[in-house]
Order: sequence, then structure tokens, then C-alpha cells
Amino acid sequence: MARIEYQHSLDALEASLQEQGAIVLRVLRAAVTALETQDTELCDEVIAFDDEIDTRYHRIEKMVEELLAQQSPVATDLRLVLAVLHNSIHLERIGDQCVTVAKLTKLASELEPRHDLVEGLREMGERAEEMVRIALDSFAVRDVQRAQALVELDELIDRTNRRVADKVLALAHEPGSQEWGMRMIIVARCLERVGDNAVDIGEQTAFLVTGEFHEFSDASH
Amino acid sequence: MAGLTNVALPHIDSSKLGGLASDPDGRGTETVFDVRDLHVAYSGSLALKGVSLEIRKNFVTAFIGPSGCGKSTFIRCFNRMNDLIPGAKVEGTILYHGRDLYASNIDPVEVRRRIGMVFQKPNPFPKSIYENVAFGPRVLGMKKALDERVERALHAAALWDEVKDRLKDNALGLSGGQQQRLCIARAIAVEPDVILMDEPASALDPISTSRIEDLIHELKNDYTIVIVTHNMQQAARVADMTAFFSVELREDGTGRHGILVEHDQTTRIFTNPADKRTEDYVTGRFG
Repeated sequence: MARIEYQHSLDALEASLQEQGAIVLRVLRAAVTALETQDTELCDEVIAFDDEIDTRYHRIEKMVEELLAQQSPVATDLRLVLAVLHNSIHLERIGDQCVTVAKLTKLASELEPRHDLVEGLREMGERAEEMVRIALDSFAVRDVQRAQALVELDELIDRTNRRVADKVLALAHEPGSQEWGMRMIIVARCLERVGDNAVDIGEQTAFLVTGEFHEFSDASH
Repeated sequence: MAGLTNVALPHIDSSKLGGLASDPDGRGTETVFDVRDLHVAYSGSLALKGVSLEIRKNFVTAFIGPSGCGKSTFIRCFNRMNDLIPGAKVEGTILYHGRDLYASNIDPVEVRRRIGMVFQKPNPFPKSIYENVAFGPRVLGMKKALDERVERALHAAALWDEVKDRLKDNALGLSGGQQQRLCIARAIAVEPDVILMDEPASALDPISTSRIEDLIHELKNDYTIVIVTHNMQQAARVADMTAFFSVELREDGTGRHGILVEHDQTTRIFTNPADKRTEDYVTGRFG
């Protein structure tokens, strides 16, 4: 194996992405737990942790910059570097969604929750977490088939999101639940976006392996 | 000589060319060289085995590959430079605008006028700058308007502004990069169709190298260029098409010879090559 230092740099870059992913998964789990238990302290932790995710993203961006400048990667190496940068941005955005969920949870903490809706949001959160985990694992082992399966999981989240929205609309006639419902409809949207970001990461796995980029599903439909 | 003059260019239907189709600006629509199953041996020892590829008009085609893969041997086949090496034997076919380059009625001197060559190390004659450029046309009887011809060639080689006030100075007083551009001017002066470049920038500093690369981009509008380079980034920067050569052990274990592994658009070779050997080489993991 030639270019040992170069290979070490590529390995370190990919390891950094997986570390960022592990942090994002913890934050996502914490955001959903805080929502479920109305734990405002945990919400503050989620919000504070976003800086760490951003720092990881900037570190990866710097590593990519140096690799491009010093090693001129081509072919699979170039695709790996580009895919890691894309994925790191997607993870950073998932972190942002978690912050929004935590802030809305805090704002709604004084309001009376609707437990059937919270259950739906918890289900969405768990599915989103599973999707991010599958996205990161399939990227690590270059498993395009598994990455493509994310589309079906995303459909499940989308379906739950629509169900939550319908239930919130039904709350319109219950004066005490309107504000809480409005906040939760945004929470549902955030969790639905996490699923989309996981699919985006899956698309990068396909790009890395095949050299061709295409969206797994048309987002405009 | 008569064999190569007034050759009608064959019509090529570019829609049938698949992955090698022409550039949007119209370059690459015609085939200049059509190489079919070319084998080259030196004193009975095979150096290059079974190469088939096309070189397109006004394209820059780069040959890359490790030492000993036969890329320099191959480029020398295009202007019959291997004829000058005792014991060299070329088998197979190279069609130049549809004519067999190695047919018995083809004059190698006329071949080398139409297919000029620039070498790794600048090799100006120990004469004035002017004489270096005027020599070829004068030998070939192109004596009419010689001053204009020299000026045109020096302009085309992006050297005129630097030497116009010292055309009588000895060419050996120029810098390495200027000498190489002078050699390109010398090749251009006899109005070639193709310019072959065998590692034209490997002996030059980065600034001179970038000038040669800029020049290649300019020249491809008027000439077909084939370049051998060890610098893969250079191939990525200047070439429309890239051919990757590699070495292969002979089945009987008596040695090794060069083979063509992959020939495709340069962007493809450097982003998503089809052959793992190409991938290993361009990513630096060869060997």
C-alpha cells in the first residue's frame, strides 16, 4: 500500500464523521426524551451541545480543505472526501433540528401536553434515530442497498407526521391545547426533516460507491 | 511523400462514438489516428502489446502510466520515431486520417513534418532564436515570407513578446521554459497537423510549467495534441482524453511489457475510472 500518510488522513476524516454522527445520535435521543418527559434541563443540554456538533463540522471542513490542497484526491478518494463533507453538513443540520425541538419543548413546558400526540412524536423520534444510525452504518460499510432502504423508513416518518398534523388541527376547538399543538406541529416537522437528512446521507453512500449521484426519491412529490 | 499530401479527411459520424463523443465546442469530431492492435518490440523483446485507440482532432490526449509501461514508445509510433531505433519493430496498424502510417509508400520525413514532436528536455540548436524557428521551414522549402512565418510561430508559442527584440541572440541564452516554448514554436513553424509532447514540462519550474499548460490550451484550437506526462495533475488539467498504460508480466515469466488499460474522457478517468488498475494508479496506490 502506497501513500500511507494519505490513507491515514482519509481514515481519520471518516472516523471524525462517525464521531460527529455518534454525538448527533446522542443529542437526538436526548431531544426526544426531553420532549417526552418535559425535562427542561435536558433541553438546555441539547441546546448547549449544538456548539460541539458545529465544532466537529468545522474540524471536518478543515480536514477536507487540507486534503484537497495537499493530496489532490481523485476517483474514489475524491468522492469520499466530498461525501464526508456533505454528510457532515447533514449531521450539523440534524443537530439544528434537535435544538429547535428542545427550544419548543421548553416553550411548551408550562402547557398541558396531549399524551397521544407525544406518543406519536416519540415514535417519529425513534424512527429518525434509527434512520440516522442506518445512514451512518451503511456509509461506513459502503452498503448501497441498505442506504436505499432509508426511503421506505422515511415514508413511515412522513406518515406519522401527517397523522400528528391532523390531530393538531383537531385541537383547534380545544382552547387550552391550541398553543401546545402549534408548537408540536413544528416539532413534528423537525423530526420529519431529520429523516430527510438521513436519506440525504444514504444518497452520498450511493454516490461514493457508484460514482453517480441521484436522489433516491423525488422530494417535489 | 505523395502518400500523405492532399489526404481527404474521412467523415466520422460522432453520434456513434459513445463515451468518446466530441466536445460541445466542436472539437473531437474527427479521428486523426486510429490505432489497431499495435505491438512494438525492441530487438525481439515485446515492449508494448495490443494497443487500440483513437486520437481525435483538436483534442488533447494524455498518456499516463508508470515507468516502463510503453507510453513513450507508443507516442513515438505516431511520427515513426521508432524507425530510427535499431531493432525496433512495429506491428499492427496506425491509420492517420484513414491512411496507413507505416505503408511502404509513406515518407517518414513528411510524416514528421505533419506530426511534430517536443521532447522532455528543451533541445534548441546552438543558433539564434530566429534560426531555430526558421530552420525547419527553410529545409522543407517553405522559404516564402519566412520572417512572417517565424513571427507567427513565436506568437503561437507565446514567446514573441519576450524575444522580439533579440531574435539574433543565441537560443541557449533563454531560460528552460523559454527554450521549451521555442521548441514548440519550431514545431509549429512547419505547419504540422499534430504536436506530440513527451513530458514537455518535466524539466521546468512550476511557473514555466503553467505557461506550457496555458499554451496547450491555446494550441488545441489549431492542432491535435498528444502528451506523455508523469504528472497526473497535469493530465487532469490539460487533457480532454486520457489513456492509462500499465505493465503486465509475460505469461512465460521472461519479462514485462506495456498495455493500454483504459482510455476515456479525462474527467471520467479522474473521478470514476472503470478499471481498478486505473483507480489504483491515479489515487497513488499503484505497486
